[in-house]
Amino acid sequence: MFRMKLQRYIAGLVVTFYLVLLGYLYLHIGQEKSFPARPIAIIVHSKPGSAIDFMARKVAEIARKHSDVAFVVENRTGTQGLVAMQHVLDMKADGYTLLGVTKSFLSTVMVNKSKVSMNDFLFIANMVSDPEALIANKSRNFYSLEDLIRDAGREDYTQVWIGPGTGSRDHLMAMKCWKTLEIHNTQWIDYKSGPQAVLALMRDEAAVYVGNPADVRGKTGLGIISITSDERLTPLPDVPTFKEQGYDMNESMWRGFAYKRGVPEEAIRYVTGILQKVVLDEEWINYCNESFVFSNFEGKDEFTQRIVDETAETNHYLKKAGMLVNYIKESSVHPVIIFILIALAVFFSIFAYNRFHTHRFNYDQIVAGGILSISFFFLHLTFLFQIPESVVITSPSLMPRIWIIVLILLSVLLIFRSESNKPVTRLTSPGTVLIIITLLLIYLVTMQWIGYYITTPVFILSAMYLLTYRKISIMTINAFGFVLFSYLVFNELLHIDLPLGWWFL
Amino acid sequence: MGILNNLWLGLQEFGQFLPIMMMLIGVVIGIIVGVLPGLSPSIGVALMLPVTFGLDPISALVLLVSVYLSSNYGGSITAIAINTPGTPGAVATTFDGYELTKKGKPLHALLTSLTASTVGGLVGTIILILFSVPLAKLALSFESYEYFALGVFGLTIISSLAGKSPLKGFISSGIGLLFVTIGFDTELPFSRFSLGIPDLADGIEFIPALIGLFALGEIFYSIEKGDYKEKKKSARVNLSDKLRVKQLLKLKSVIMKSSVIGTLVGCIPGAGGTIATFIAYDQAKSSSKHPEEFGHGSLEGVAAPEAANNGSVGGALVPLLTLGIPGSASTAVLIGALMIHKLDPGPELFTKEAGLVYGIFISLFFANIFMFLIGLLGNKLWIRIIAAPKSLLYPIILALSFIGSYFIQNSVFDVGVCIAFGIMGWLLKRGDFPTAPVVLGLILGKMIEENLRLSLVKGEWIEFFTRPGSLIIILLAVISFFMPYIRKKWLNFGKNKK
Repeated sequence: MFRMKLQRYIAGLVVTFYLVLLGYLYLHIGQEKSFPARPIAIIVHSKPGSAIDFMARKVAEIARKHSDVAFVVENRTGTQGLVAMQHVLDMKADGYTLLGVTKSFLSTVMVNKSKVSMNDFLFIANMVSDPEALIANKSRNFYSLEDLIRDAGREDYTQVWIGPGTGSRDHLMAMKCWKTLEIHNTQWIDYKSGPQAVLALMRDEAAVYVGNPADVRGKTGLGIISITSDERLTPLPDVPTFKEQGYDMNESMWRGFAYKRGVPEEAIRYVTGILQKVVLDEEWINYCNESFVFSNFEGKDEFTQRIVDETAETNHYLKKAGMLVNYIKESSVHPVIIFILIALAVFFSIFAYNRFHTHRFNYDQIVAGGILSISFFFLHLTFLFQIPESVVITSPSLMPRIWIIVLILLSVLLIFRSESNKPVTRLTSPGTVLIIITLLLIYLVTMQWIGYYITTPVFILSAMYLLTYRKISIMTINAFGFVLFSYLVFNELLHIDLPLGWWFL
Repeated sequence: MGILNNLWLGLQEFGQFLPIMMMLIGVVIGIIVGVLPGLSPSIGVALMLPVTFGLDPISALVLLVSVYLSSNYGGSITAIAINTPGTPGAVATTFDGYELTKKGKPLHALLTSLTASTVGGLVGTIILILFSVPLAKLALSFESYEYFALGVFGLTIISSLAGKSPLKGFISSGIGLLFVTIGFDTELPFSRFSLGIPDLADGIEFIPALIGLFALGEIFYSIEKGDYKEKKKSARVNLSDKLRVKQLLKLKSVIMKSSVIGTLVGCIPGAGGTIATFIAYDQAKSSSKHPEEFGHGSLEGVAAPEAANNGSVGGALVPLLTLGIPGSASTAVLIGALMIHKLDPGPELFTKEAGLVYGIFISLFFANIFMFLIGLLGNKLWIRIIAAPKSLLYPIILALSFIGSYFIQNSVFDVGVCIAFGIMGWLLKRGDFPTAPVVLGLILGKMIEENLRLSLVKGEWIEFFTRPGSLIIILLAVISFFMPYIRKKWLNFGKNKK
């Protein structure tokens, strides 16, 4: 008796705490008067610790000195920045979502032929300019661009240049260098990631690595041949520029901030003002020196003009590299219809086989049929790849086709082997599982609209009820307690905000 | 003398109030990060990065390294308790850990995992201190040919993961291998098989798929079997059946061997701790006196992946500190932290900042020991959770899987991926298809394809067999693939003879 009373008391307490939390989270929404009333999010497209993430975090840290509200960095990775760009476009243009932008976005948008365009954004401030650097293993004794040109001129020799990505900034930079330095017998090898490319350079697998000056930090075996800025970097006084050696080339990676178009003038003025104060801060200057970048503040107009100029140039080089073609043929029939047709054909064949052998469908055959359908569908998709011969060395369909053929053979074998099996019988029906899955899907959809804090207890309580648990006070303690627990762990301890729901924001 | 001297310097650097506090906090946070599905060690380290801005270098790095280390252990707790690997490195721990829980012996599994993790972490640290220079050479010698061979070697492990039907095991791995080709091509800037769906353009996110396959798949399967109807507190958790020290001591050779495997594979940039756990599991099985117990609740099967997983932490620090190359997602964040504190990782770091480097090493030692103590205390809590009625537990795990999948990139699509893989895991499980090979396929597929194609760009097929490194690994792969069958034949032959 006492135990039940205690449980009821705790349940009441947990619900009270929950309601207080809801009030705390939701009541202040919509009460904003002048900008800024709440923290400003900086959306970053790459993982924590990357160059732009580091810059954004530094800006957020310094801005704290000059702003009434905090700047909070949020990483939204994926599709070379498109995920982050799309996220900013999905948010209200109220000035509370700032996008960290880099030069690589220009090629991302073009190469992916994405619906997102640079015109959707308002480029409010460029912060740094990070010169491109040609880096070599010291054992090659490349001290100047002339050394590099001489090396490339050797007979029966291909000078290998490496870096991360095909069609990436570094790749385009390499092409631009070849043109400027007038060297021809070169090859670009894409090492997928910067660290792997640097490792390859340490092993002396290539002549040049295209990267940024900071890439040589701590690596005694590597040296910078030249950087592409107008002047030398203060922390690297011995590294010459292209210009000094007679080549007019200024190529650098910029990093700055943009808003979605339509943000109120008040917000643009406020944030630009803060950023202007940031670049004058001593801590900022130290950051730039330590990261081997130039502090290069450009306001809205100047920055926008830069984007326009460089978009045209990027387009030119991407075309030259064969990157702006369609890699996938348009199919006249919708893929879903093709998949259904394939599945029908596969299951009809299994059915026919079973008729012939007087068997009934069994579970293994159903699974094998599903896998066969998926495999044939993928096989069909590989035939839609169209790869220009100029760029391809190994086919993108090679590996998928190997796996597809293996899967098809194994599945067919399973269908033949399973003939001795009895049809699968199960003691229980999968009904409850299907209801749980439906419940999960409803939870997924409603969570986006009305937020995590409201939908989660509802989901947990209904799932417990479905699984025939009936002690109300225990259910309440667990469901609401879980929400309080997740608030404490995620919001307070780990500083990740759980979604509050589009409907309220 | 040099090392002793440096260790003394390190002890002085570490032995102050703030670094010790940071180690304690880091271990606790790391375990929490590990326990929560979806929060992998690298995300945990990244979340703590901003906190370190205001700290001195040694305290900052101690905090991050402690989070990294203990989150690798934390992942095993949920793997054992609820079949949900809290981190990718804990996948192999579910094979036997969860089986032990089902048999009412979760405490055995938890203690074994804790001990193995601690010893693995310590061995990794010792190897890091003594052999970082030769290991750096190993890391540097790995070219695309060797990575490809290592990927193929990893695939051969399926033959020992497959369970009853090797055919079904191979099919499962094929699914993983095919699905991982979805997304950006490894060479050209276009997305394969994504059907124009923007969220799929980058491919399937690994962690939601993993949570779906294991956590959701298992829950759906259990619900179908109707085991939530047991109303009583699960009587299956038998607390009186204590794990004896003797039983743990029996595991010493497995733990030592797996720790070394973990450290060695961990130090190869890009290979990582997860692959190490599978290799260690496979090795433990093939050298065990009771291979038939694997997959049915073998203590060796819990000890091997856990020792390897925590051993890999020491390994991953080798290329980071000696070459300045991050070998894993977590160390990629650590390199950012080093730079924030104006430290250039690379050979010079050992001479210029010996106190700091050895301070980190010393902190790893103490963090391991502290992790052991916290783990012992925590076990009591986990046992209570395991004993809760299933109808109460399952909805909470489902909600937890939801947040876990959401947080990797704040993406609702990823939650959908988690549910889809949950359904797939359930359907496969119903037909006795093992799900572990799917995960293995997802882990290895990219590594195999990227490096095969890079190798072909650089050279010819023949180089896979003319380079000693890749040749040795390929031969090991062949042996490892046929080992279970040869063993079976051999045992049968022995029986017939008798």
